[in-house]
Amino acid sequence: MSRSYDRALTVFSPDGHLFQVTLTATNRNQLIRVIYRWNTLAKRSARVGVRGKDVVVLGVEKKSVLQLQDPRTVRKVVMLDDHVCLAFAGLTADGRVLIDKARIECQSHRLTVEDPVTVEYITKHIAGIKQIHEKYTQSGGVRPFGISTLIVGFDPDDTRPRLYQTEPSGIYSAWKANAIGRSSKTVREFLEKNHKDDLSREETIKLTVKSLLEVVQTGAKNIEISVMESYGKVTNLDLPEIEAIVAGIEREKEAEAERKRSRLAATAAGQAAMSSRADEGASGTPGQ
Amino acid sequence: MARRYDSRTTIFSPEGKLYQVEYAMEAISHAGTVLGLLAKDGVVLAAEKKVTGKLLDLSATKEGGYGGSGEKVFLLSSNVITGLAGWTADANSLVNFARNAAQQHLLAYDEDIPVELLAQRLCDMKQGYTQFGGLRPFGVSLLYAGYDPQYQFQLYRSDPSGNYSGWKATCIGANNGTAQSLLKQEYKDDIEVKDAIGLALRTMSKTMDSTTLGSEKLEFAVLTLDPVTKKPKAKIYRPAEIDALLEKEGLAKKDEDTEMKAA
Amino acid sequence: METSFAITGKGYVIVAADTTAARSIVKMKTDEDKIKTLSEHLVMAYSGEPGDTLQFAEYVSRNIRLYAIRNLYALRPAAAAAWIRRALATSLRSRKPYSVNLLLGGYDETEHAPKLYWVDYLGTMDEVPFAAHGYGSYFALSLLDRYHDPSASLEEGLATLKRCIDEVSKRLVVSPGTYKVKIVDKDGVREVEL
Repeated sequence: MSRSYDRALTVFSPDGHLFQVTLTATNRNQLIRVIYRWNTLAKRSARVGVRGKDVVVLGVEKKSVLQLQDPRTVRKVVMLDDHVCLAFAGLTADGRVLIDKARIECQSHRLTVEDPVTVEYITKHIAGIKQIHEKYTQSGGVRPFGISTLIVGFDPDDTRPRLYQTEPSGIYSAWKANAIGRSSKTVREFLEKNHKDDLSREETIKLTVKSLLEVVQTGAKNIEISVMESYGKVTNLDLPEIEAIVAGIEREKEAEAERKRSRLAATAAGQAAMSSRADEGASGTPGQ
Repeated sequence: MARRYDSRTTIFSPEGKLYQVEYAMEAISHAGTVLGLLAKDGVVLAAEKKVTGKLLDLSATKEGGYGGSGEKVFLLSSNVITGLAGWTADANSLVNFARNAAQQHLLAYDEDIPVELLAQRLCDMKQGYTQFGGLRPFGVSLLYAGYDPQYQFQLYRSDPSGNYSGWKATCIGANNGTAQSLLKQEYKDDIEVKDAIGLALRTMSKTMDSTTLGSEKLEFAVLTLDPVTKKPKAKIYRPAEIDALLEKEGLAKKDEDTEMKAA
Repeated sequence: METSFAITGKGYVIVAADTTAARSIVKMKTDEDKIKTLSEHLVMAYSGEPGDTLQFAEYVSRNIRLYAIRNLYALRPAAAAAWIRRALATSLRSRKPYSVNLLLGGYDETEHAPKLYWVDYLGTMDEVPFAAHGYGSYFALSLLDRYHDPSASLEEGLATLKRCIDEVSKRLVVSPGTYKVKIVDKDGVREVEL
């Protein structure tokens, strides 16, 4: 069965020259066993999705655009249809190809059943494409899509916000809040600690920004926020708005720190008072 | 052991890299430099030719065709020109693919293909070659210089991974780092084509290995709007025109005799 | 019988289509919308074989939308018209061709000009200042020849349209009762009551 894949391949060598290799079944299987794709994802920037009561927010860490680059072509959050938004982490070219497939499916679905896709349907579709690729990784010389996605949106005739995640393996799952990409573990832990059900619009946005700030050191200018409020209503926050939220969070943090300091000072003072009283008591005894 | 992950195009390494793609990029970093500059009223491409020789017959390109020697700079569509760095054989097949894609769009929509869409078409194919087994990636990076009514003049760059990005000024191939930092210093947002031509040539003269600049080592093209029809007009310079341009910019080869006289 | 009109004016195009859905000699309903919005600045009035019309209109609409969502901006009217014409021309040479006639009205945002295309089921297409399909066209085209003004204001344009509709009502034996009227201009698509 594996014979047909044990063919000679023309490939590039490290110094950029072409050479041919012949793969055997054994070393190919070894190679396949070590698909450390998660590391790929870890290097890219962070993406966060948070679901509120009737709003869902996508937050993206964006790398600063190079001086001579055109910022228009750097796209982090894309629309799949009027009511579904996607953010991905991983290989950009893979992402583009997968997004294109998903966009076709959205319109094709409308054409066949006259209804827009549900968020779960399109998530499942994307996961399905990935799963097929994963399957043929074993036998067909195909590599999996090196990307994770967060998909948010509203179902037609429904007011509940949706948030899904897909992984390169083809697994998908629904979330209240989640993170992918760089330091996603840190962000997820933060979200686990701080997410509450029924967050308002402002609270949801704030939690998204706050969780991103856990891993983004450079502040507002490297954060992009997309808010979906109802079916087909998407707004991207502009820089001043994000700056205001970041400033608000920083003020809170300072106030918190200040409180902590004063509390510490108070306890310290209390302790000092107590110990001095004890001293007084101690020193007073002989006099009595 | 390091070789365990690098021979198949479709295998991720433990660091999460696609080595075949990275090696392809390495191949390009030895290729002749191609430089693109986006100006207010046009786009400029300059490329360093590597295949040179006294016996090379370029007479056909001097007379017929649309100019150029056909090694680095090509017309993809009436509104897009490209400059390629990397494996020439791969480059030719990509040019062919792109020209086909452009004509298919023209056939379907009766309009010139938008520049970004053409870049996307090529990149989707390049991406496929990194994902499906048995094939190696294209060892070519491209610059696309074009015009469409939606975004006017544009400049894009794509690499073997199937990534592309838009630029105001950029460079691929050998010494692209040097050229990029030179451009960073010199580029102005509202630069005009006539100044961009000079900047492109000056940057090329500083980054190319050879000390002298001449038409045998340089390809040059400009895309502007025709003042009458307002349609994009690509001009790929012929060797004689390049020499004239270099003369005008004061970058031409100096004749030893005249130098002697001057001294 | 089915009738549709379209008129360009100063910065706008008006597209009108009757709202009758008929089968043989029977009126099945009189509130059918035969003008589909394809993108923010493009509408398409369709007439012809019932069934074919809707099927084709939906096919077109999904494809135009797909192009827009893939490229982040919609096809320009001229490009959309060319694509649609090709779809019909391809269909004509298939086993079961679509029997659909179209009027495409749009506003070109890069040229800042209204655009109107007349397309028939044979894959004929032309850009025109005014157009009509169906029996009504026999009355309307001569009127439009006389009264159409490319620099007319919207009110004047609507008045000309009214003239056409009235003439059809007066002269055509089987004239449709009601029309749907849509306007495309720089602000997008909107419906108006006559």
